[in-house]
Amino acid sequence: MSRPGKSIERSLMSMDALIFLQGQGLPILRTMFAGQMSEALHAARKIGFPVVLKISSPHIVHKTDVNGVLLDLRNELEVQQGFERLHDGVAALRPDAMLEGVVVQEMGRGTEIIIGALRDPQFGPCLMVGLGGIFVEVMRDVAFRVVPIERKDARQMITELKGFPILGGARGRETSVEAIESLLVQVSSLVNTFPEIAEMDLNPVFVNAAGCWLCDARIMTAD
Amino acid sequence: MSPFDDKRGYLVKLNKMFHPQSVAVVGASENPGKLGFHVMKSLMRGGFCGRTFPINPKASSIWNLPAYASIRDIPDEIDLAVIVVPAQAVTPVLKDCHNKGVQGVVLISAGFSEIPDPMGAALQAQIRQLADQWTLPIIGPNTFGFVNLRGTVNASFTPEFSRMPTGGVSLVSQSGGFCHLAGFRAIAENVGFSKVIGLGNRCNMDFADMVSYLADDPETNVMALYIEGMEEPRRLVEVARTLDGNKPILAYKAGRGPSADSASKFHTGSLAGRFEIYQGAFRQGGILDVADSEELLDTAKAVDCLAPLTGNTIAVLSSQAGPGMIACDACYLHSLQLAMFSSTTQERINQLLPALAVRDNPVDMGPAWYNPDAIMGIMEAVIDDPNVAGVLFLAMYASANVALAGRMREYFEQRQPLKKPMIACFSAPPPIWAADQEAMDRRKGLVFLPTPERTARAMGNLWRLHNVLA
Repeated sequence: MSRPGKSIERSLMSMDALIFLQGQGLPILRTMFAGQMSEALHAARKIGFPVVLKISSPHIVHKTDVNGVLLDLRNELEVQQGFERLHDGVAALRPDAMLEGVVVQEMGRGTEIIIGALRDPQFGPCLMVGLGGIFVEVMRDVAFRVVPIERKDARQMITELKGFPILGGARGRETSVEAIESLLVQVSSLVNTFPEIAEMDLNPVFVNAAGCWLCDARIMTAD
Repeated sequence: MSPFDDKRGYLVKLNKMFHPQSVAVVGASENPGKLGFHVMKSLMRGGFCGRTFPINPKASSIWNLPAYASIRDIPDEIDLAVIVVPAQAVTPVLKDCHNKGVQGVVLISAGFSEIPDPMGAALQAQIRQLADQWTLPIIGPNTFGFVNLRGTVNASFTPEFSRMPTGGVSLVSQSGGFCHLAGFRAIAENVGFSKVIGLGNRCNMDFADMVSYLADDPETNVMALYIEGMEEPRRLVEVARTLDGNKPILAYKAGRGPSADSASKFHTGSLAGRFEIYQGAFRQGGILDVADSEELLDTAKAVDCLAPLTGNTIAVLSSQAGPGMIACDACYLHSLQLAMFSSTTQERINQLLPALAVRDNPVDMGPAWYNPDAIMGIMEAVIDDPNVAGVLFLAMYASANVALAGRMREYFEQRQPLKKPMIACFSAPPPIWAADQEAMDRRKGLVFLPTPERTARAMGNLWRLHNVLA
């Protein structure tokens, strides 16, 4: 894990967090920022269809709460219409929020997982993995370890999830458990390399047979 | 400096304090209204073979022993000092202990960091500093003490701990109350103990230090921990990890409900259970976590007395169909599989059991009620089967099968110790079968537990332990 000349000086949200994590060698879905519609079209062409559009505003944390995410846009027309719909819809719901533009992202495919890091007052840096969506929120199906972890620990974390069969290929899904293991070990050493990271959410991370990719992230620094 | 950094010095002293030749009781008393009375009773009635020195400046003799005004006045060397004086009087006593060359201290006195008054915490910090400076292990303060059943010393204020069965389980507990719960359940359920240690406020002896000591203690086969919370939980995990599975550690962590959870925050603020972190850390340290006190004792008993489980294929032998079904359900719940018997085994069973009931796994031995020799034959066939990793043997008394327990006892008295784990459950109206069960329990690689469900859970934990240590 390479450490650039300076430390992380402030909390990083979404795009900023993804750029930082990409610089640290973590796998990221192709993502571009677009301030205007023409930029969004350009980004979508560059990334390749289908794409996802997400509203970008420093005042909106939970984008889905304001209908700020549009999935599976398959061509330029859908991106064009989507850009307007997103912008106007969010502006109506949240007139107070400054809208910077949209994030255009490659459409993630596969099973959603969540990876988190935190500093426990007793244990210090810890790592968490869970299956995304209701598995984490309702079932609390998560596994923790204290940092640093070895690959063996990463494998145990994944296999002890109650929802592991979903990752293991139930219902025809195929996922690369090895890719999740590698990502967990990478995140473990990242947390050790940057002690200023107080908390980090990689949520969601898409996993499929080919590997796993971060879709969204946030990094909270100590203050 | 933490004791673990200088473990050599502490471990030698701990060994002497757990096997003392001489014990001083500071605050010894003949008044049953004082804890100093009960500590003296524990030493005098607990079979302690060393010398006991009561310290009390107001008495000339206590429990028919000459009393001393101070530990300084004792002519002999002192290995262990048990202190039961008020908190304010403790510091000068500790200085006397140090000057006298005492190897270790049990500090029963309360009134330290557990009280709301910050003076208590300040006093504990002060004695901790002195203890670290002197490399003096202090168990407590605010503890009931410890009992070493293998070394025959009861350094606690509860004499009846000496009645506990002797074995290879060592309990290290943050709560004295839990020791009283587990200790007397152990008498009722015949769990054999080596040491019971109440850590109390953990002045300078914490779980990690006790695990370091017990790891090298030849009298301890398995450690059982009762944990409420720790300032430095990583130390325990790191020490446990260095053992590399050489001595199994079981842990029951209390404080897992939502109220304990709210202290820590993660993500939505409700996700990060600190207990979940403990669970993960235990796994990293090769520590097996259990959910309740009963599971802790059952599992400790099984690990102490049985051969390790090297596979998850189990044979269920039951003298009635119902309890066998229950055990099979519980096996499934605990990730155990029913073994497929080899053809040799199946033939032997078919010869011994009329075709009136299920003869493959689970075996319903009901038709052999009147024939305990046939039941022993079935049991032996299953034990010998290489496809079977462990055996559950269930027998509910009925008037017609009364001869079973005695015949089984004869069988076990004659055979070599089992090389695979076997857990049995008898249910009978006392005192029927009780003496036979007692004669077999914890011998020759066989243990008894009270219900079919608990036999399966304990077997399941042998399998979890195998995986945790893998």
